[in-house]
Amino acid sequence: MIRLAGVEKSFHDGEREIPILRGVDLEVRPGEMVAIVGPSGSGKSTLLYVAGALDRDFRGEVEIAGTSLAGLSPAAAAALRNRAVGFVFQAFNLLDGLTALENVMLPGILRPGGESIASVRSRAGEALEGVGLASRATARPARLSGGERQRVAIARALLARPSVLLADEPTGNLDAVTGEAIIDQFRELARGGLSVLVVTHEERVSRAAGRVLRLEQGRLA
Amino acid sequence: MRPRALVWLALTSLRADRRNALVNGAAACTGAAALTLFVALGLGVGGAARRMFPADARLVEVVPPTVSLGGLLGGGRLDDAALERLRELPAVEHAWPRLMLRVPLAIPRPPKGLDAQWPPGMTLQVPAVGVAPGLVAGDLGPGRRFDDVGAGEAVPVMLSRRLLEIYDKTFAPAWGVPRLPAGFVPLGLEVPVRIGFSIVPGKTEATVTESRVRLVGLSDRVPIYTMALPIDTVRRLHAEYGKEDLGYTQVTIVARSAAEVPGLVASVRRMGFSVDESERAAAERVGTIVAVSTGALVSLAVLMCALAALAIAQSLSASVRGRTREIAVLQAVGASPGVVRAMVLVQGALVGVSGGVAGALLARLAALGADRLTARLLPDFPFRPDTFFAFPPWLFLLGVALPAAAAVLGALAPASTAASVDPARTLS
Repeated sequence: MIRLAGVEKSFHDGEREIPILRGVDLEVRPGEMVAIVGPSGSGKSTLLYVAGALDRDFRGEVEIAGTSLAGLSPAAAAALRNRAVGFVFQAFNLLDGLTALENVMLPGILRPGGESIASVRSRAGEALEGVGLASRATARPARLSGGERQRVAIARALLARPSVLLADEPTGNLDAVTGEAIIDQFRELARGGLSVLVVTHEERVSRAAGRVLRLEQGRLA
Repeated sequence: MRPRALVWLALTSLRADRRNALVNGAAACTGAAALTLFVALGLGVGGAARRMFPADARLVEVVPPTVSLGGLLGGGRLDDAALERLRELPAVEHAWPRLMLRVPLAIPRPPKGLDAQWPPGMTLQVPAVGVAPGLVAGDLGPGRRFDDVGAGEAVPVMLSRRLLEIYDKTFAPAWGVPRLPAGFVPLGLEVPVRIGFSIVPGKTEATVTESRVRLVGLSDRVPIYTMALPIDTVRRLHAEYGKEDLGYTQVTIVARSAAEVPGLVASVRRMGFSVDESERAAAERVGTIVAVSTGALVSLAVLMCALAALAIAQSLSASVRGRTREIAVLQAVGASPGVVRAMVLVQGALVGVSGGVAGALLARLAALGADRLTARLLPDFPFRPDTFFAFPPWLFLLGVALPAAAAVLGALAPASTAASVDPARTLS
């Protein structure tokens, strides 16, 4: 579950303070898929990064999988992201020098006090199989299509069996058919008990969500 | 995070950025190779110089003064009284007298069985010195004795260890006689001598005695072109041939420690004696030259390691700057700033260790090549070492550890930069 209460965040442009989030309250329950829509620059991605403990420079309260971010050390926040949060980005953000399998292995490798490399490799192989890419395990991202890359990113996000999945414009770089397949996958994951929060400006994504919230002038409506 | 996982992460990072990794590895390899080779060269040449000039830092050679005021200052003659006074100096552990044999001694023919190699009609005039048995006791062959055996018996003698090397490399090839097998010491070899006989006209004594000498050991404390006899034998021969007692030729003092030698030398000079520092000075000069050259080369190698560290720092910094997005992704999937920092440091360490191992091996190969080349190009002069390099095990460790440490030092700043990447800002 994700819970945000009274979250405020500003950026500074020299002396000027530009508010981005103005007292945002949000709760995404397990099994729910929530879409955040809004114009470009409205702070959707910022909200997502705050909700995923990636951006901790804010006022208010954020709780991820029952853990409050207040007073969490950088190492503890990293461990929380590793354990409870899966990220899917519009630009996929795969590491170009690694194979698809190695990209998927990363959360397992980074797990504090984690499992053996062989075990992580085996689970990453299963995760790739789960997104239908077992045969592309040794391929580098440059050799994968956009849809394949996003499926690798999803496999990576799910490797640590998170309770929260955060997606930033996940279909933004995909064609219609591939985008639909990814949306279906998100819906399936939400049905499986994950809290899915998707930031999008695409109608097809918001249609698939159980709840759609609009972020405008720093407030959710 | 497990250490193996950290190494996996660093290795995959290096593989992804292999061009930079290779350049950094080459820098570390160059530093390691230079350091290992130069230190090995210094040790090797130093060892060869010590074999050539085996000076004992605790020895002080006391000789009568060139100009003496004699009894006025208590100096002058090196007799038993002077020897006692020298022994009483506070820093002295032992004082051993030497007495030059003033009766001519010659080798008229070779030992039995070596006649074929002996140039016809050749007689060798051999300078001989009597030494106190204690001075060379540590160098005696097993079960051998070095004291006066009386007339009619083979006189025990000791030779300089270096003389055998000169025999092997100079006399043997010149005379066409066989060289001694490596490591072989002809202990017990008996050589006929004529006591009282000189090849210099008019110097032969009225009585010439046929005798034998028997080799009982080799010692660096015996002057190089001299045969050492027990000092009592020299005294006996002087008495037999009516030679006047002129006192000792030299007294060798063994100081309690090398640090006390300068003070001891000053005390000896205050007593009115001179100190023969020619051997020690030569050894010290060679030692200084070797130490200074080695120091300069090692400084150069350390500078190369420092430059390698700078190159690695620059290259890793550029790599970190170019990979901020990847670092942010790692943070998004659970890497803490500490893990990111450790990953870059491990990358530096891996580059340093692999470059260091490659460099140390390269140095070993280069030394083998250089030795082969010198063996082919340089003549076989006395004391020429088989190798000009020495590779003790610690040198390999040093050759790897220093470039690795330099690489880790070079990785410190880039690691800090990487750890401070703001993932939210970078991924936005």
